[in-house]
Amino acid sequence: MAQQDTSSLSVEAASVRPQQSAWQRMRASGSVRFGAIFLFILIFISVFAPWLGTVDPTLFDAASRDLLPGKFGEIMTLEGEVLKHQFLMGSDSFGRDIYSRVIYGTQVSLLVGLLTALASLALGIVFGLLSGYIRWVDSVVMRVMDGLMAIPSILIAIALVALWRGSITTVIIAITIPEGPRVTRLVRSLVLSIREEPYVEAAIAIGTPTWRIMLFHILPNTVAPLVVQGTYICAAAILVEAILSFLGVGLPPDIPTWGNIMAEGRPQFIQYPHNIFFPGIFLAITVLAVNILGDGLRDTLDPKMAKRL
Amino acid sequence: MTAALEVQNLYIALPSEGDRKHAVAAVNFSVGRGEIVCLVGESGSGKSVIAQSVMGLLPKSLPVTEGKILLEGEDITHAPLSRLRELRATRMSMIFQEPMTALNPVMRCGEQIDEVLRAHTTLSESERKKKILAIVEEVALPDPERMFQAFPHQLSGGQRQRIMIAMALVLEPVLLIADEPTTALDVTTQAQILHLISELQRKHGTGVLFITHDFGVVAEIADRVAVLRLGDLVEMGPKEDVLMRPQHDYTKMLIAAVPGIHPKAKARQTNAPIVLQVVGLDKTYGGLGWFSSKRHEVHAAKAVNFTIRKGETLGIVGESGSGKSTVARCVVRLIDPSAGSIDLEGDDLARLSGAKLRALRKRVQIVFQDPYRSLNPRRTVGETIMEGPMNFGLSREEAAKRARSLMEWVRMDPSVLNRYPHQFSGGQRQRISIARALAMEPELLIADEAVSALDVSVQAQVLELLEEIRQRLNLAMLFITHDLRVAAQVCDDIVVMSKGEVVEYGAALEVFSAPKHAYTQSLFAAAPGRDFPFHQSKTAA
Repeated sequence: MAQQDTSSLSVEAASVRPQQSAWQRMRASGSVRFGAIFLFILIFISVFAPWLGTVDPTLFDAASRDLLPGKFGEIMTLEGEVLKHQFLMGSDSFGRDIYSRVIYGTQVSLLVGLLTALASLALGIVFGLLSGYIRWVDSVVMRVMDGLMAIPSILIAIALVALWRGSITTVIIAITIPEGPRVTRLVRSLVLSIREEPYVEAAIAIGTPTWRIMLFHILPNTVAPLVVQGTYICAAAILVEAILSFLGVGLPPDIPTWGNIMAEGRPQFIQYPHNIFFPGIFLAITVLAVNILGDGLRDTLDPKMAKRL
Repeated sequence: MTAALEVQNLYIALPSEGDRKHAVAAVNFSVGRGEIVCLVGESGSGKSVIAQSVMGLLPKSLPVTEGKILLEGEDITHAPLSRLRELRATRMSMIFQEPMTALNPVMRCGEQIDEVLRAHTTLSESERKKKILAIVEEVALPDPERMFQAFPHQLSGGQRQRIMIAMALVLEPVLLIADEPTTALDVTTQAQILHLISELQRKHGTGVLFITHDFGVVAEIADRVAVLRLGDLVEMGPKEDVLMRPQHDYTKMLIAAVPGIHPKAKARQTNAPIVLQVVGLDKTYGGLGWFSSKRHEVHAAKAVNFTIRKGETLGIVGESGSGKSTVARCVVRLIDPSAGSIDLEGDDLARLSGAKLRALRKRVQIVFQDPYRSLNPRRTVGETIMEGPMNFGLSREEAAKRARSLMEWVRMDPSVLNRYPHQFSGGQRQRISIARALAMEPELLIADEAVSALDVSVQAQVLELLEEIRQRLNLAMLFITHDLRVAAQVCDDIVVMSKGEVVEYGAALEVFSAPKHAYTQSLFAAAPGRDFPFHQSKTAA
């Protein structure tokens, strides 16, 4: 009897089930691939902008004003040299090459999207962990966050631009201030449920210090939803940056951003729709790619959340 | 007369990534009118899949590939949805495990029963109401008029299950499928629901397909029993035959694994040193909130006293809400007791905090109920086991060495230390949790429903492991369980709790053979299959 039990014990204990890892599932997911490939193309475009048949996006030439897409024209460099140039996406009312401006604009959009997502996540993780795990911090931090969330990002941007001046940093801060508290809320709610898990209680019971519990037991289990949230923030930040620039409270008009290009094309929108069309298409495709990537990541990293949303 | 249900040579395919080809293969059985057939099996045996296939509730990924399902002789295997809709509730109906989620929380109970009648009958509103009140009365719910108006959250789990049964039986189907209907209920409520089901089915001549993992319930209610193992029906026959004279090895193993309800007489050392002495332990929850002026208090534990000696096991038994887990969590100091003392060999755990408490933590360890949540999914098994000793200053190499030897102790292969928890089964995870606790070299080990989530055969193995460890280390153990059979097998002393209070405390042998308190008596009387002589056949065989 005892002999038989021992053998059945070891049989049960020996078999280990193989399972697909999150990485394998991610690589198999169509939307992750689609979104990632598109983003890589955009990153490539922004990094290699000078070598993609562009001219300096700030150059203008009065002789080449309001050219239609595909037309040839002349453009003078800062050194006074006159280049013959094909205006692939036409030119604006100053005679600037829209193609070059849109391509260089990719840099700003991706940078703002990425940095805002990272800044919001960093803010959210620090405050979310603290207020989720330490009770007395909670009521203080969350009231402050409620307050921050009540301020619209456009108002903040106007205030900040008035205080400092329009720059990438200003825009990122203006978007992070309302986004950060949202991440804080998410992290806090995750921490509140994870801290009740038996494995956290077991860690307390084996004398693990609080900071180790927060960093090694709780934080790693919030990563999946946070990565997903990060992509959504990135997409939202790209849109908000374009809106701010369009309204003239984002980056200064001499820096080519999609929002600036559209703002400058707005007065002549009826006659020359290409001024708005091309940056608009780039903006839409970028945001779509980031969102599709986010959906794919959500489905593969966080299957429970996938069913809920 | 044709049988209520006949299942012939049923095959249900699993998706290609499953661990076997068929969820169930070549299953044959029938349920006669007025008969209760129990489908028993461990998790993954395919018992619920069979129930769903009969109701036509299988997801598309699990198609019936072969065989027939006959309801009163009518082949419904591939019946169109419209026909199934006609048959559901009128000829066959189903009750589920979770009475908390099976009812719609925003509809009154009466309306939910009414929905069945409106869909399938042409009765007028007053006739329907009369019928509903009659069935509510039949399932022995007090004050049918009030029950009709009640929302599900206003009812207890047992009452909700009665509403489910009323809904299932209101149109007098020939077949009732009950999928673990009492698993989520307390033992006294379970006894009442089992009684109700058998009474109603006898009265109406309903055929019942009763799905369960609990042999106690089988012994209580079944006429015939079918045993499933990984999709194969290994044995079928009348209850007495299967339970007393099982033919198949798997059935024999399962029945041997069912813990007996009578404690064995053990030799005890009455002069062993006392490890834990709990005196007057109190825990109240609640108090003033920011915006509430009324003090709302819950007394989870009231003046609890007990002692555990070295090498002995004290069991705390009780139903949900009895405060047994509160006591365990106070002793480990996951929560702070409101009053009383917890004396662990001279140190009062109840009074310590901060660094002093942390230093004492290693001496009391706990194993939790849910094997799927008690290990951090993002850390390897090795890291989990090594963390505790390393918190108390052991070097990484020594901790790893200890982890390897502990893996052998809990009968697992030390080479799997670098794997993550999701690669292990429930029983394996529970072994890992035990190893984590033992790595601290505790004086007191607490098992908080540590085997309740496991299949009966795995449960027997883990219990055996715990017993072996207790003897080897001469540990004191505090064993929290709702399962009287498990308590009878493991414990030397028993504390019976109800509503936060200890109602009986004594040696297991005495408490089980002659319970003094009325609550203990009712608890024991409710234990399913308590009169069934499970283990007499074993001595004969």
